[in-house]
Amino acid sequence: MLPEWLLPALVITALGLFAIGALRRILLWRAGRPEPVSLIAGLMAMPRRYLVDLHHVVARDKVMSNTHVATAGGFVLSMLLIIPVHVFGLDSRWLTIPLLAATVIMFTGAVFVYRRRRNPPARLSKGPWMRLPKSLLTFSVSFFLLTLLASDLLPENFGHWVLTGVLLIGVTLGLAELLFGMGWGGPMKHAFAGALHLAFHRRPERFGGGRSTGLKPVDLDGMLGVAKPSDFKWNQLLGFDACVQCGRCEAVCPAFAAGQPLNPKKLIQDMVVGLAGGSDAHYAGSPYPGRDVGQAQGNPHQPIVDGLVSAETLWSCTTCRACVEECPMMIEHVDAIVDMRRHLTLERGETPNKGAEVLDNLIATDNPGGYEPNSRMNWAADLALPLMADKQEAEVLFWVSDGCFDMRSQRILRAFVKILKAANVDFAVLGNEECDSGDVARRLGDDATFQTLARHNIATLSKYRFTRIVTTDPHAFHVLKNEYGDFGGHYDVMHHSTFINELVEQGRINLDRFKGGTVTYHDPCYLGRYNGEYESPRALLAALGIQVSEMERSGYRSRCCGGGGGAPITDIPGEHRIADMRVDDARKVEAETIAVACQQCTAMLEGVVEPRPEIRDLAELVADGLVVDATPASTATAGPSLAEEVH
Amino acid sequence: MSQFEALFRPLQINQLTIRNRVVSTAHAEVYATDGGMTTDRYVKYYEEKAKGGCGLCICGGSSVVSIDSPQSWWSSVNLSTDRIIPHFQNLADAVHKHGGKIMIQITHMGRRSRWDGENWPNLLSPSGIREPVHRATCKTIEEEEIWRVIGDFAQAARRAKEGGLDGVELSAVHQHLIDQFWSPRVNRRTDEWGGTFENRMRFGMEVLKAVRQEVGRDFAVGLRICGDEFHPDGLNHDDMKQIAKYYNDTGLLDFFGVVGSGCDTHNTLANVIPNMSFPPEPFLHLAAGIKEVVDVPVIHAQNIKDPNQAERILQEGYVDFVGMTRAHIADPHLIAKIKMNQVDQIRQCVGANYCIDRQYQGLDVLCIQNAATSREHLGLPHIIEKTEGPVRKVLVIGGGPGGMEAARVAAERGHNVTLVEKAGELGGQITLAARAPQRDQIAGITRWYALELDRLGVDLRFNTAADASVVRDFQPDICILATGGIPFMEQNPEWGHDDGLVVSSWDILSGQVEPGKNVLVYDTICEFSGMSAADYLASKGAQVELVTDDIKPGVGIGGTTFPTYYRSLYEHEVIMSSDLILEKVYAEGDKKIAVLENEYTGSREERVVDQVVIENGTRPNEELYYALKSESINKGQIDVEALYACQAQPVLKEADSGMILWRLGDCVSQRNTHAAIYDALRLCKDL
Repeated sequence: MLPEWLLPALVITALGLFAIGALRRILLWRAGRPEPVSLIAGLMAMPRRYLVDLHHVVARDKVMSNTHVATAGGFVLSMLLIIPVHVFGLDSRWLTIPLLAATVIMFTGAVFVYRRRRNPPARLSKGPWMRLPKSLLTFSVSFFLLTLLASDLLPENFGHWVLTGVLLIGVTLGLAELLFGMGWGGPMKHAFAGALHLAFHRRPERFGGGRSTGLKPVDLDGMLGVAKPSDFKWNQLLGFDACVQCGRCEAVCPAFAAGQPLNPKKLIQDMVVGLAGGSDAHYAGSPYPGRDVGQAQGNPHQPIVDGLVSAETLWSCTTCRACVEECPMMIEHVDAIVDMRRHLTLERGETPNKGAEVLDNLIATDNPGGYEPNSRMNWAADLALPLMADKQEAEVLFWVSDGCFDMRSQRILRAFVKILKAANVDFAVLGNEECDSGDVARRLGDDATFQTLARHNIATLSKYRFTRIVTTDPHAFHVLKNEYGDFGGHYDVMHHSTFINELVEQGRINLDRFKGGTVTYHDPCYLGRYNGEYESPRALLAALGIQVSEMERSGYRSRCCGGGGGAPITDIPGEHRIADMRVDDARKVEAETIAVACQQCTAMLEGVVEPRPEIRDLAELVADGLVVDATPASTATAGPSLAEEVH
Repeated sequence: MSQFEALFRPLQINQLTIRNRVVSTAHAEVYATDGGMTTDRYVKYYEEKAKGGCGLCICGGSSVVSIDSPQSWWSSVNLSTDRIIPHFQNLADAVHKHGGKIMIQITHMGRRSRWDGENWPNLLSPSGIREPVHRATCKTIEEEEIWRVIGDFAQAARRAKEGGLDGVELSAVHQHLIDQFWSPRVNRRTDEWGGTFENRMRFGMEVLKAVRQEVGRDFAVGLRICGDEFHPDGLNHDDMKQIAKYYNDTGLLDFFGVVGSGCDTHNTLANVIPNMSFPPEPFLHLAAGIKEVVDVPVIHAQNIKDPNQAERILQEGYVDFVGMTRAHIADPHLIAKIKMNQVDQIRQCVGANYCIDRQYQGLDVLCIQNAATSREHLGLPHIIEKTEGPVRKVLVIGGGPGGMEAARVAAERGHNVTLVEKAGELGGQITLAARAPQRDQIAGITRWYALELDRLGVDLRFNTAADASVVRDFQPDICILATGGIPFMEQNPEWGHDDGLVVSSWDILSGQVEPGKNVLVYDTICEFSGMSAADYLASKGAQVELVTDDIKPGVGIGGTTFPTYYRSLYEHEVIMSSDLILEKVYAEGDKKIAVLENEYTGSREERVVDQVVIENGTRPNEELYYALKSESINKGQIDVEALYACQAQPVLKEADSGMILWRLGDCVSQRNTHAAIYDALRLCKDL
């Protein structure tokens, strides 16, 4: 027989090594900038966040979810029992039988991990991750048999020391992967970092069914953006370390699919390289399209851009949040990207392509196109829109947004005005007092311009009384609703799809049935993923008698049109255009019309070469379907009559 | 997409916000009925422009303020009676409903009219000098009449205001009474209404003051003037600037409209509405010159047809508003199409001047290519909705104007349309017409159809001659023949066409026959084709004599177009001979002898030439029609009552068991482009 102390020693050594590794890892994270968190509350909340919130995401893949429950649950339970049984030698059936059961559960899960790894999808990283199922199997089998042998469940001397020896080797290997590796950067690091990431997440509002998508306010007197890994908040670094390289982000990233040099998984892994120091030579997943692996090098104090990642990678992002939505570890890719963009824009003045021009325009003219600021109302010269400056008070403040400068968007705006008038809504606009919401400036990293615009708009809005703000622009909607609060602007903001749907539900407008062919609906990122509004647009389409032919990627999985985050402005080349791919999605369901709810989406999708489905905003579809009461008696009181228009 | 920023920048005129910089400037419509009232047709015509997005319509070119300024012979608007007010209310409501603004031009035409009708007035003028374009003799206006007419102006303006119109434009252009007083060419008075600058200005000034007094400061009042009369004894550009500034400085005016060129002679008239022989915006510099000296917005129209051109003019600040009047006659949805990013779908005016040439004959203004214009009240659509009935298989034979319009309309209705054309391209006779000098732009009609038929997915089969078996094999539900005609060369066998002694104008224009050196063109039609053939030959270096048996060459061509032909023909020393009938042609050696007989004396004369070209119209290509007629369920007949009422052909409602056959255009009888397009539209709009 082998010495009895050997097994406990092994476990203790492994635990000790894990502890040293973990401490070292924690120190790596702490190189990041401070961010106050609640240690106790975070740790207390962690199990629930793991079991409920995280599994809500993981459970989108049922098989993988169950696999993880079995493997991770089995492992955690095993470890908890291994310590009393094998370290302290407590010999009780109350412990050994549960330990046996735990290893069996873990084994079962590990079998599924193994099976998945036999023919893994492209999005999964290979390398050490290919070893993991074997380690899991080894660990569970070894501890099962060792426990069985050490227990009184078998006849005396059933075991043989050779067998025990082999099993101890197995145990060693298993412990090495699962404990040593957890602390020292192996695949199992995710369990440790992931758990703490959940505990100290930068957006705790996300847990418990909440939503947190607005960018965090930036102190313009402090450090502007992230130049090197240590410029990230410490818990952002922690978040990077939680990555399991499952590649779900990669699978949904529109820029990656378009062959632009962005892969969210690789980006996070490069951040991990940066926080720990080294190179990406060991990265075993898909590269940034068109870029070789092995070039990235960095450490916590070395500039990220052109060391770890290229600027093009950062500017390829559309900020669509598909990666964040899919990430089972709830990592915040978009925050990190915008943080790094902020450095490039504000510290280095390196916003690429049209970016600098757009920012200059925003500074000089309050709109990205550089149009005369006093021409905001040109689109409505013949509509006699009530101005807030004249009315002072209105039920609805119609936030027009920069669509006012774009002829295509003007059709959406005019359609919405037609609806407002048909429903006799008490509304007014800011007219030339309105400024760009700051969305684009902020996504391009220019928080200074964003804050100038935001404060200006907040000051303007504070002059007037209104119940709510309604806008046809999901980007303005998001910023007004979620990002102005940090600067003192708190409003009830509504997207026009929600608002029009309310009008329909209240019977304030009547709609005819849509007379057209197949319709699909494209969820705008800033309405859907950013703000969770998936239902109103669909309800509205249903009210028009439209049965939506859903695209495979719809709702929270909607594929971006390519127009967010200033991506059309920074315009990083790829192999395809994102908008083309999106229209292909619609073609697959044989849609003749793509209903949209965003003027940016409209512009992007209409930019796709014909023949393609027609692109119509919800407001346009509704305006076309309005049943206007033609009884002569009502015309006297109906206010300004509705212009029939061909445009 | 281009944003047309300057075009869509609103601008104030007095209290009005004009939503964009595009104006349908005043033109005589010849639609006012019931004694000069703006009735249904008139209202619908302007409503369509407003619906299409036009910023400002100034209607009623030369609408009269006085009972002795006749309006009936060209159905102009009559503001001399309060009876007009409710009609204006209908008009204003229709335009305002769509966000547009509408003003009216008011005037007393003085000597520039006809006296032989209606009230048989003595025409008024400052000095009783005859006006040649209308052959109008006139009396010298007396002081009492001057003050009466000034009062009439004020009352007319009041009626416009009470009718809800947005403003009035006083006409001091085209040699109406106000500018008759201005121009020393026709104002020879020695009293306080003539002579010095101030005296010549007095009548217009008193009109302006009286109008302003009547309507108040907030009602828009503008003045339309010319930029240069282009007469040595008339007002030149500097004079016009002086006049514009003089009136501007009163502060009583809200805008100026500027037209280059006076128009009291046939030749200057042709400048005013520049046809396709003119370059784009030929007189913009004159309007820009006026803009230099005035403080209020300046409107300028004249050959501005293209949105990019308009944007450029506005962007560079030459004027404040562009008039796109014929452009709106061709396509009242011009603005909407710009906004819809459908610039390629705009039916662009080609400057054929069918509209204005009809007007000068006292006929209603129509568009050569858009048969729906001014027929909105009959239910002819500018936007053709898809049918909710059965989708039919439509075969159109012939790609001339009638065939192209039939194919377009049927395709817009959602039918499966195939167009078979014997030539290698669309256009038919338009293609020939476009080969003449100064006439190339008429091909714009075809270009638009080509784009539209492509957009609509019409199956075009070129270089395909259709015979009865082709049609039978195709098994269409509806077969529309638009096979056109062929030159009618056999009318007089003595011309020797069969012996090759003469060629047709088509032979020449198509380039199939080389121009001779010494050529006689014999033109019995006296419209575009003969003039074009002569002009073409002359431009190729031929010595040409253009002979007609009619009263003068080109007599069938309207007032704005024959002058530009004449300019070219005289410049090329083409000899024009009238009243001579071509009796016979015979050969003598390599020469042709043309025997001409004077219609009135019977005397004969001969010409020795090396080529005789005949323009004698066309005979219909009707073989295919007669080959198919008996097989069709309607025996080829069109129900003319339904057609003229713009209603669906009854045969469409019958149980379909076989082919419906229709023919239209010159394959029935020779008419013109508009006739073919009109028939195609009204026949196919209810398919």
